[in-house]
Amino acid sequence: MNPPGWLVDRLPEWARSIRFRYTLLYSAVLFGLAAFVVAALYLVLLMALRGEPVSTGNRGKICDLQQVPPQCFTIDVFSARELERRVNTQTLAKLRNYSFGALGVLFVASLGVGWVVAGRVLRPIGRITAVARDIQATDLSRRIELPGPDDELKQLADTFDAMLARLDAAFAAQRQFVADASHELRNPLAIIRTNVDVALADPHADPDDLRHAITVVKRASDRMARLVDDLLALARRQEPVFEHEPVDLGAAVAEASDDFVVPAAARSIVLDRAIAPEVMVTGDRDALKRAVANLLENAVRLAPAGSRISLATGSEGDSAWIAVADEGPGIALDDQAHVFDRFWRADKARSRADGGTGLGLAIVRQIVESHGGKIRLQSKVGLGSSFVIWLPIASTAPDPSSRPSPAPALTPADRARTRPSFDPPSD
Amino acid sequence: MRVLVVEDEADLADAIARGLRRDGYAVDVAYDGDEAVDKATINDYDVVCLDLNLPRIDGIEVVRRIRADSRRPSPRVLMLTARDSTRDRIAGLDEGADDYLVKPFDFDELKARVRALLRRDAGRSGALLRVADIELDSSRHEARRGGHQLPLTPKEFALLRYFMSRAGQVLSQEDLLEHVWDENADPFTNTVRVTVMTLRRKLADAGDSQPIETVVGRGYRLREQP
Repeated sequence: MNPPGWLVDRLPEWARSIRFRYTLLYSAVLFGLAAFVVAALYLVLLMALRGEPVSTGNRGKICDLQQVPPQCFTIDVFSARELERRVNTQTLAKLRNYSFGALGVLFVASLGVGWVVAGRVLRPIGRITAVARDIQATDLSRRIELPGPDDELKQLADTFDAMLARLDAAFAAQRQFVADASHELRNPLAIIRTNVDVALADPHADPDDLRHAITVVKRASDRMARLVDDLLALARRQEPVFEHEPVDLGAAVAEASDDFVVPAAARSIVLDRAIAPEVMVTGDRDALKRAVANLLENAVRLAPAGSRISLATGSEGDSAWIAVADEGPGIALDDQAHVFDRFWRADKARSRADGGTGLGLAIVRQIVESHGGKIRLQSKVGLGSSFVIWLPIASTAPDPSSRPSPAPALTPADRARTRPSFDPPSD
Repeated sequence: MRVLVVEDEADLADAIARGLRRDGYAVDVAYDGDEAVDKATINDYDVVCLDLNLPRIDGIEVVRRIRADSRRPSPRVLMLTARDSTRDRIAGLDEGADDYLVKPFDFDELKARVRALLRRDAGRSGALLRVADIELDSSRHEARRGGHQLPLTPKEFALLRYFMSRAGQVLSQEDLLEHVWDENADPFTNTVRVTVMTLRRKLADAGDSQPIETVVGRGYRLREQP
C-alpha cells in the first residue's frame, strides 16, 4: 500500500522510508491479530461465565437450634447466583483492562521489533544503493557483489551487476571507437600539417618540391574525406532499420556492381555476375547497395590482376543471399573473427596505402544486422575469400526475431567453379 | 647529428626527413619496426623519432630492442603517436621514450624537441652552443665567430654543431661519418675530409686562428681554448 502523494511530500524523510512503512504495517498487522485473539478470548469467557452459575438452584432450610422453639429460614439460592455473577463481571472487567494494557505494550514493542527487523532485512538494499551511487560517481568497472544466500535481494544485486557489466562493455567499446577514430583521423592530419610546414619553411623550394607536397596533401585529405564519410555512415546507422521499403535485391545488387565493371576491367579482373531475378527483401535499398559495393570494393582492391570475382544472389527457403567471392590473398583463420571489427586491417601499411579506411566491413555488418540478416565469411590464405549475406525475404514479413540461420558453406572447390554454389541455410 | 625517423606513413616519414635534413641533420628513414631495429643495430643514432603504432613490431617493442643492444650508446627516443590519452603517454615514457609528441604536431615543435634531446647529451642548456669565440644557434640556424656570421652550408653547419657538442674530444672520420652523414653517404669518398676542410677555411676567414686541429692518425679536435 502506498500513501497518497500529498501526504508523502509532507512527511519527514525517515517517515518516507520503506523501513518506516514496513514497521508500521508489521505492527498494525500484529496488533490487529493480537486484538482479535484477545477479543475472541474475552467473548468466549463472557459467554461461559454468563451462563448457568456453577451451583445448582436448590431451595434449603437453615434452622437455629439453640433457640426454642428453633427458628428456621428458607435460604434463597438465587442470591448466591447473583453473587457469582457479580464476581464474574468484575473478573471480566479486570481481564478487559489488563488486555487493553497488554495490547498497548504489545503495540509499542512490535513497533520497536518491527523497526529493528525491517532494518536488518533491508540492510542489503542500503548496501546496493550505496555501491550503486559510488559506481555512478566513480567508474563502471566496480560491481556490487552482494554476499549472502541466493535470495531476492541477491538476485537484485546480481541483476545490477549484469547490467553494469553490459554498460561497462558498451562504454568501453564506445571509448575505444572514439580513440580509434581520432587515431585514424590524426594520421592524415599529421601528414598534411607536416608537409605544409616543411614546404612553407623553405623559402627557396622549387616547383617540383611544392607540387610533391601538394600531391601528398591531396592524397591525405582524400583519405580523410573517405574516413569521415565512413564514420558518418556508421554513426547514422545506429537505428535498427533506416527505411522500410520493398527492395528488388537482384536489381539493387546489379546496380551496385555496375560501378565496379570498369575498375575491375582496368586490373584485368573478371567480374562474374549470376543474379537471380524477383527476390524481394524489405529494407533500405541504398544501404544494401552500399553493403554490396563495400564487399566488391575490397575484392577489386585486393584480388590479384587477372583473377576472377564472383557475385551471385539467390534465395533458399525464407532467406535471400548475396555472395561475393574473390581469388585474393585470403584471410588467416585467426584474423577471420576480427575482419568485421572497426578499424581492423589485415596489413595496416598495405591496406592504408591502398585507400582502405578499415571501416568497410564494419559498415557491411551493421547494414546486414540492421536488416535482421547475417554475414558469413569463408576464407583460405592464398585461395581467396567469400562473403555471404543472408537476408529475410520480404513475403515472410520482416520480423527481427526470425533471423536466418547459419553459415552457408562455401568450399574452395565450390569457388573454383565458374558459378559459385552455396548450401542453403540449415537450422 | 644523426636521426632515425621510424614511421609507417611514408608521406609523413619523408616530410619529416626532408625538414630535418634541411636543418643539417643526417636522417635515415625506416617504414616499419623491423627495419628500424635493423638500422639501429648497424648505425649510431643520436635521436630516434619513433611512431608508436607500427605494423609488425610496435614502437614500444622497437624501443625495448634498441635499448637492449648494449654494444651501442642508447639514442634519445622521441615518441610520435596519434594516441593522446594519459595512459598511452605513461606507457610510452615508462618503456624508455625520452619525450612524447602527439600527432598532428607543429614541425617547429618537433625540431625544438629534437634539439632539446640533443642538448641533454651535450649537457648544455639553451639552443645556443658556445666554444671559445664560436657561437652556434641551432634554433635560428646561425653560426658566428667573433661576431662575424659564418656562411655555412647545412652539412658544414651540422659538422660544426657536432664538433661543438663534443669540444675537446678527438673525433675520427668514422665518428663524423656516422653522426653527421646519413646512410646514403658513400664511406669510400673523401666527403668528410672535404667538408672539414671547407669548414676550417670558413672558420679561419672569420678569425685569426684555426680552432679545429688535426690529430695525426686519429682525427680532428675542436680546441676549447682559443
